[in-house]
Amino acid sequence: MFGGVEAFFDSSGFIPHGVCLLWRPEILALHVTADVLTGLSYYSIPIALAYFVLKRRDLVFSWVFWLFAAFILACGTTHFYSIWTLWNPDYAVEGVIKAVTAIVSLLTAIALWLLMPKALALPSPNQIAATNVALHREIEVRRQAEQRYASFFNNLAEGLFVIAVLPDGQFVFDTLNPAHARATGIDPDALRGRLVRDAVPPETADAVIERYSACVRAGEPIDYEETLDLPVGRRVWHTVLVPVRDGSGRIVQLLGSSRDITERKQLQEELVQASKLATLGTLAAGMAHEMSQPLNIIRIWAENALSRLRDGETDAGRLDKVLTLISEQTERMGKIIDHMRTFARRDGGGMEPFDPANSIRSAVELVRNQFALENITVNTDITGERCLARGRPLQLEQVILNLLSNAHDAILEWRAAKDGGDPQAGRIAVSMHCDGGHTATIVITDDGGGIDPQILPRIFDPFFTTKEVGKGSGLGLSIGYGIIDAMNGRIEADNVDHPGGGRGVRFTITLPVTRPSSREVERAHA
Amino acid sequence: MPEPTPAPVHILVAEDEPLAAMALEDFLSRRGFRVTLAQDGLEAMERHRDDPADAVITDLRMPRMDGRALIRELRSQSATLPLVVMTGFLSMDEGQDDLTSDRWKPLEILRKPVSPQVIVDTLLRLIGRPGGSA
Ligand SMILES: Nc1ncnc2c1ncn2[C@@H]1O[C@H](COP(=O)(O)OP(=O)(O)OP(=O)(O)O)[C@@H](O)[C@H]1O
Ligand SMILES: [Mg+2]
Repeated sequence: MFGGVEAFFDSSGFIPHGVCLLWRPEILALHVTADVLTGLSYYSIPIALAYFVLKRRDLVFSWVFWLFAAFILACGTTHFYSIWTLWNPDYAVEGVIKAVTAIVSLLTAIALWLLMPKALALPSPNQIAATNVALHREIEVRRQAEQRYASFFNNLAEGLFVIAVLPDGQFVFDTLNPAHARATGIDPDALRGRLVRDAVPPETADAVIERYSACVRAGEPIDYEETLDLPVGRRVWHTVLVPVRDGSGRIVQLLGSSRDITERKQLQEELVQASKLATLGTLAAGMAHEMSQPLNIIRIWAENALSRLRDGETDAGRLDKVLTLISEQTERMGKIIDHMRTFARRDGGGMEPFDPANSIRSAVELVRNQFALENITVNTDITGERCLARGRPLQLEQVILNLLSNAHDAILEWRAAKDGGDPQAGRIAVSMHCDGGHTATIVITDDGGGIDPQILPRIFDPFFTTKEVGKGSGLGLSIGYGIIDAMNGRIEADNVDHPGGGRGVRFTITLPVTRPSSREVERAHA
Repeated sequence: MPEPTPAPVHILVAEDEPLAAMALEDFLSRRGFRVTLAQDGLEAMERHRDDPADAVITDLRMPRMDGRALIRELRSQSATLPLVVMTGFLSMDEGQDDLTSDRWKPLEILRKPVSPQVIVDTLLRLIGRPGGSA
């Protein structure tokens, strides 16, 4: 089609564009002036753009500006070249320049349309200005809120503190408010930013870290009472911990509030003791009756023997019998006194964390063989996690022992009952279940016929018994009630019908527990 | 020191504690009384019906029929039968308890532990006879 590059650019044979304008000076002048002005203007635009792009380094899509610059530069060049072709007919060169312009224009146009959605998404300066105003306002609001909270934090009578939770699980004191500082005698500045483990005495650290860990484990607010030795002395606190999570859900802070309940606690303890002493009044009457029985026997036998002795009787065998009998009666009195001692003991110190399952096991072990001889089986079923209750393990064992011996007595009586009794009776089930570190539920069920609904409300009363004289003191359940109550637990009794036939009593004990920390597991095993 | 007598005084003892009952029986019979034992109020009523006693000693807390019910029954049958109550309960002598009222007389309340000699003296006083025999 073309005879080579040289032939293509060969302008001989063409006539200059001026010819078309018939070399009329005014038309030529008009063309030249217009093209010069347009070309100059076009050339000035890329310079302005380049200046803009270089100054505004943050500009998005700056390459589009460069593309624009190229496009306008090309346009300007075509105008300048139009002036050239008025006198020189280099139309091939002009065509090439136009072609370049076309390509650059095309690219620019395509780029522009492709960019359009993104460009539209860019905030306009007005929008940005508006956003800025809003931001300023919000900062101000937040600042005021913060000030308000700060004055809350600083002036509230309630002790508040913030604990930071490090990624490795360690705890760091962040801040505590003046009320808390006053109440505890702790200097906030001395603690701020320090590991809890290092900042306070080891005993206190152990105690509080256990709680903090429990809160992190639970992942929800917890609420407890604690006794701490602080610079102000030994105080009892009611503390609430609230975990705070970051965007990813990790617990990064614990917000705490503490109230000093030492006085209230003392009052409460005194009240408990007072109500105990009030029960002790009723108890005393029952006790007097209970003691008067063996005393009566002793006195009659002793005076009897004395009178025989004075009459000249010296039957050694008879004397032996009388003295043995007297000694047995004093033993019976000793037991009653022991019961009373447990009942009257003032609780307070001496409560230790222990696994209730151990108390159950040792109580069951104590009776299993003896019960087996009488054809009574005791099944134990301990499920759930390991957990720790607070109290005295031996006392819980005592409570369970009494429940087992009550069940035993009921079964024997039920077997012997002439009508309605079940000769097959003889199963006792002991179960314990520990749920998520909140409560342990101990259930003891028998098939000994149940309790008459009329006397059910009275079985926890001191000295209430349906057993023969000398067989039951009626103190077992009332002492058990006191022990469980001191552990902040509950004990209840109800009648149950067993699926396979047979009736019996179910005693349910619920105790507040915590999941053991590894430290406590060690201690509980020690 | 038993003396030969035509008809010994017959005492009914209602007491559910067998050891106390046995010792009392021994003591009283050595003092010349004839003693019948009953373990509760119902049994005491039966014994009294079959073989009427001259005086009754009773405990208060007993199974089946307690001491108070027994006293009501006996008093309704006889206004003069001497009654002795042995009890381990407090406040019996403070004029609060119904048993201290005059309508139960002749009735004496003795608090456990009771000296058997005091029981004997009380019985004799209520029966209106000096000495241990009829
Ligand atoms: N499992 C049971 N089945 C039927 N009755 C029961 C059962 N447990 C308790 N009771 C009733 O409750 C009463 C009170 O029980 P509690 O343990 O307080 O005293 P106790 O067993 O009579 O004497 P102790 O002081 O020697 O324990 C019993 O006398 C009995 O009537
Ligand atoms: Mg019992």
